[in-house]
Amino acid sequence: MLPQATGLRNLSQQNLLQELRLFIGGTSKTIKCNSLELTKTALSLLKQLPPCREAVFEYFHVVFDNATLNYVTRLEKEIATGQMPPASEDDETTISEIHSVLCNFISTNAEAWAPIISTWSLELLGELSTRYAGRAHVSTGVNETLQLWMSCISTRTLIDVTTQCLSCLMNSDTEACISALLDTSVKHSPNFDWVVAHVGSCFPNTVITRVLSCGLKDFCQNKSYEQGCDSPKLKSVVGILGHLAGGHCNDIRTALLDLFNWSHKHMLFQDDSTKSQKKATVPFLLQLAYLSPTLFSTICKDIKKTLTLDVIVELYNYTDDWCKYFGSSESLQTLLVNLILKCDVGAVQIINLLMDCIQTDKLATDDECVKRNIRDTSREILELVLHEVDSAVRVQSQQNESVHILQCFVREILDVHELLLSPDKVKYQTAAQIVTFVGHTNPYLLINSITFLFENSKTDEQLVLIVKILFNELIDKTLQPYADKKGHFAMVLEQVLSKVNTRINLAKEIEDDIDSMLVWKNLLILLQWEKGEVFLLKSKIISRAIHANFISLTRLFRSEKLPSSTLHVFAELFEIFGIPSHVDHESYRIPIKALLDCSIAVVKYFFVCCNEQDEIVKHNGWRRVRTILKRLCLHSKAVRVLTLRELLEKSLYTKNSVLFGAKNTKLEKNVEFDKSVLEQNKRMSKTIPLTKHSSVFNGGIIGTGKRMPATHEALSQDVVAENTDQLLNTIKACCATLTEADAKVLDVSLDNVTLVSLLLVQFVSPDVMYNGLPWPEEEFAKVTIERDLYIRRLFNNNPVMWELLSFIAVYRPTLCYCSVLLRALTATLIHQWNSMGNQSKSTDTGNYNSLMDTTVKVLDVMALGQLLPPPLSGIRDVILYLKNSEIVQILRNCVWNYMRDNVPSPALFTCDSAGVYWRDPSHSKPLEMYTSTLRLIMQKNIKTVGQSYCQMFVIMPHSN
Amino acid sequence: MSQFSGPEIKHTLRKLEFPVCSKEALLKIGQLTCGRVPSIKHMDLALDLMAEFIFHEVDRRGNKRTLPLTTMQEIQLVEVLYDYFNSVNNDTARNSVFLSLFSGTTAIIRSGILSKLVSMAIGIPSHFILISASTLMQQLGNTSPNSYRLANALVKDYFVLMPNSSKQLHLVPRLAPQFASNFLTAVADIYFADVKKGPLIFPPATLLETITDWVSENTQLCVAAQQTQSALPPGAIAMEATTPFAGLLKWCILAPIYRQTSEIYGKLHLGLIENMLEIPHSNPPRAIFAQHLIISIGNICRYAVDLQNRSRKSDPTERQKMFLEDTALHLCLDRFAQAIQIALSVNCVYGNIGDMINQLKQLPFNKLMAIVINSYKNKT
Repeated sequence: MLPQATGLRNLSQQNLLQELRLFIGGTSKTIKCNSLELTKTALSLLKQLPPCREAVFEYFHVVFDNATLNYVTRLEKEIATGQMPPASEDDETTISEIHSVLCNFISTNAEAWAPIISTWSLELLGELSTRYAGRAHVSTGVNETLQLWMSCISTRTLIDVTTQCLSCLMNSDTEACISALLDTSVKHSPNFDWVVAHVGSCFPNTVITRVLSCGLKDFCQNKSYEQGCDSPKLKSVVGILGHLAGGHCNDIRTALLDLFNWSHKHMLFQDDSTKSQKKATVPFLLQLAYLSPTLFSTICKDIKKTLTLDVIVELYNYTDDWCKYFGSSESLQTLLVNLILKCDVGAVQIINLLMDCIQTDKLATDDECVKRNIRDTSREILELVLHEVDSAVRVQSQQNESVHILQCFVREILDVHELLLSPDKVKYQTAAQIVTFVGHTNPYLLINSITFLFENSKTDEQLVLIVKILFNELIDKTLQPYADKKGHFAMVLEQVLSKVNTRINLAKEIEDDIDSMLVWKNLLILLQWEKGEVFLLKSKIISRAIHANFISLTRLFRSEKLPSSTLHVFAELFEIFGIPSHVDHESYRIPIKALLDCSIAVVKYFFVCCNEQDEIVKHNGWRRVRTILKRLCLHSKAVRVLTLRELLEKSLYTKNSVLFGAKNTKLEKNVEFDKSVLEQNKRMSKTIPLTKHSSVFNGGIIGTGKRMPATHEALSQDVVAENTDQLLNTIKACCATLTEADAKVLDVSLDNVTLVSLLLVQFVSPDVMYNGLPWPEEEFAKVTIERDLYIRRLFNNNPVMWELLSFIAVYRPTLCYCSVLLRALTATLIHQWNSMGNQSKSTDTGNYNSLMDTTVKVLDVMALGQLLPPPLSGIRDVILYLKNSEIVQILRNCVWNYMRDNVPSPALFTCDSAGVYWRDPSHSKPLEMYTSTLRLIMQKNIKTVGQSYCQMFVIMPHSN
Repeated sequence: MSQFSGPEIKHTLRKLEFPVCSKEALLKIGQLTCGRVPSIKHMDLALDLMAEFIFHEVDRRGNKRTLPLTTMQEIQLVEVLYDYFNSVNNDTARNSVFLSLFSGTTAIIRSGILSKLVSMAIGIPSHFILISASTLMQQLGNTSPNSYRLANALVKDYFVLMPNSSKQLHLVPRLAPQFASNFLTAVADIYFADVKKGPLIFPPATLLETITDWVSENTQLCVAAQQTQSALPPGAIAMEATTPFAGLLKWCILAPIYRQTSEIYGKLHLGLIENMLEIPHSNPPRAIFAQHLIISIGNICRYAVDLQNRSRKSDPTERQKMFLEDTALHLCLDRFAQAIQIALSVNCVYGNIGDMINQLKQLPFNKLMAIVINSYKNKT
């Protein structure tokens, strides 16, 4: 057997033995040999003679060390001379040779070789990075170090080999790998960090999870807090995670969360070490958070989801262990408070969580004792935190960057806002406190917060909160926006207004804007409180704010797009606001534009009220309209003119006229009958000779029957009457005036009613000519007939005209200015009665009645305005019984002629001692020539008008 | 005898550098241990020299050294040892130096060097060293912890790290069959071993293949260690070598029920049976110990219980049926029965055979096994 083997033996034995001898000789320097040769020998030994493995690796250690040294020396030369000497080719070939062999090992037989190679390479990396740490570079950060070492061939190769090994092992033997990594890291920290960072970014998930679990295990070994703080492994864990946090924040968070969730999950079977690890998890996480701000913010980011109330109840069982670990519950508390103060993200969530805990009913446990403990501790912590922040704010008023939580509050102000609206007292009060902290140095944020609260508060408590925040002692009232504007609230209002304005401008149609509705209601409540002498509001901050924004408020009020509900609130607001007040004009100067806007808005609102369904709202509205308008008109004459003009114009010429009994003819035109004679005639004259007959007449179209009178959907008489009444009242309110002597409010001034009557003429009479007071010869009426008819139609269509005239008539002598209207009416009446011929009531009742009605009304008004003195003033009672021709005679001889000869001017009236203008009937008795016709006709009809005759002609003269 | 004066030798040696001093020390140790009448004084000196100049465990004052040899120094030392042992032709002399170097109280500390040396002797084939190693294993017991450690190191070197080193491995049984035999016995205990902690581990594929090759190529390999008498120093008591049969049969028997379905196990089983058939007759039989053979009964019974628990069938006939349908179990029992049958027929089993048969009766029913048991009963 032996001889057979010898042949084979000799060959391989001799070669291998020679190589081994060469290797030993070469490494111990007894044989001269170049390094590349030696490496090749070593590699061949590595491949064929396993017992040499360790020695070979030790040799490689030297090779890599040399290569690194060369690299560092070159770098140093570069720093010294500015030129980098060329790299030694030997090093590179040697190392790449080794690299390829090792890679081959790893790829073909990873399970066996990876642990050996990775242990070796990690150890070597650690040693190299420590040995050359101070040389050729100043280590400033991991990234720079990484850059440096990655450009060195030996370390680059090692790192590559390491990652290959790890990627092979990650699936099978993760724990050991990471543990080795950590151990090396501990040994060579911080120079080794770059390796961990690199490896970590190659396998973030595994590395993070494992690093955490290794850290936790190590942490469990420590019995107390102080010991735990100094553990080098923990520091290393923090360092590694810190490096990885940049690129793999999410992985880290997931890992931390998993760890946390694992810690409080109940498991049926768990051995002692698991138990103690679970107990230590939370202190471990706290410790990590304390050591690394990055990790801390990672933990805080989603604390709301992780740390639910249920979890807290579960965790309660562990608290004793934690306290034991930290020495006492106080030190744990201090740590917690410090952490919370340092919080960079999620601070609001944390505060919220504490507050949730304070409300024990939310906790999912029945144990009262547990509840009480949780509540008390949470409250204590919350108070401590708030106290700390408070003092921090007070102490360093200018630079509170050091209090991280404040910055965090600023960033998460939206969450704070949510809390402000919370129904829980603790929550909203705390939130308010936070707002004041933040607002102490950052008034703009404060304004934002108040704006938010103001826009959204639905309860009185929340409004109280606004007031409390505004008057908190921490709010610096000397800072810019406060000093510039009229307090913070003015700014708030400004913001709200501009928001609402934009919204309204964007909206196409009127829509129920619930949001802004809330705002106005809130403003109203606040204003009410201020007027109600709430102590805090003594400084009139609300009024000042409104005043500061008066222009935009009024502009908004005027806007066509506001829904009626908002208008009601606005009206109430303006009513309460009480500006302009005639008592103290001087306190605020209000721009005339705002006043004009306001008056227009109120006039609009008047008509809105008329359309309102709810009786109470309607009447309140009208009352407010009167109050506000009275105030406005008293304040400025321009406003009065505008208001009256608006009122009259709107009630006569817009669709609002329907409210006062007008017939809305234009709105309901029958299409079929919509053919005008004029149109037809025009067409004919163009194309066809006159002989062709038209089928269209005023009375109707041939073939379709008589033209139907237009049908109208009129409002009920009551409503019209009420509306008319209110309109008159409103006009009356506008006519209020101040006495010059003692500035008392007088109901109505004659000047103002004159204004009304002039306005009326302006609106009703389409002509600027012949609008004077005198009545011309009756013949002249032929000239003005068209205009007269126009005026007449207006009166027919708008019954409110009569009411207006009556109103004017009451305030003598203002009716004089409406002379032209009366003249036009009378002219048309004479004409109509004349054309009526002998037709009587019996033949055309409708026509007759309306004509009679109009006649009576005209005479009535004239009598009321004392334009017709007795006995002419009694005509209205008489003509009911007379024939048409008699009526014409009376109108012509008595009324027209009298008026023609006695120009209706204010000069006819005298002012008595009480300041009332009137016309003494005894002085202004009409001459015989005006009354004789009347007397004769009455005598002729003495059967029916005997009573009146007696009064007009028998008693009157006698009374003189 | 002045040349053996302790202080003088030490003084001379101390002047020398490593590894020359080790080389010289070895020569001296050789002289000391192989003296015609080795005195206790000489032995003590030899041990001192080993500790100080070879393994560098103590310094010149006899204090323990803190710094162990570097791996580079170790490999130098291994080379020195290799050269030395390879050059000593006298088996007895070599064995006695070898034994004194690597046995005794320091065996554990020196096992690293031993493993490297033996591994080197496989890599660069050395008949002499392997023979000495075999003797060492046999004397310490080839299932002892030392042998176990050596076997493990060798497996790691040649089967785990270098699965392609078949060239060198094929030489081993030819070079030193008794070493191969002892190595097999030691290796057989590493795998399918009933270790309390952790799961069973299975042999790497290359190891299995190599062993199968060895066994089938050389039908006398398994008894090789028993067949050759080791050359021992005078006064030493030769220890009987344990054959690898029981251990390797256990692999083949248990493989099916641990889902190791590789065909190699079948081949190995065949090779082992062929080896058994070649066992030279001896009276009393000494190749296989009865209690070693039945070591796998426990695993099989546990498997049967598991099977039963999993199906939760309480009906005995159902249970029977289920056992009958389980092919893995039957392959296992078939192999077991074959092995018992052959072992009994070549009459190589020693120990309490009756007890062994009784133990076999506990196993789930198998036709072949029943026949084996019955035929044994009939024979007696």
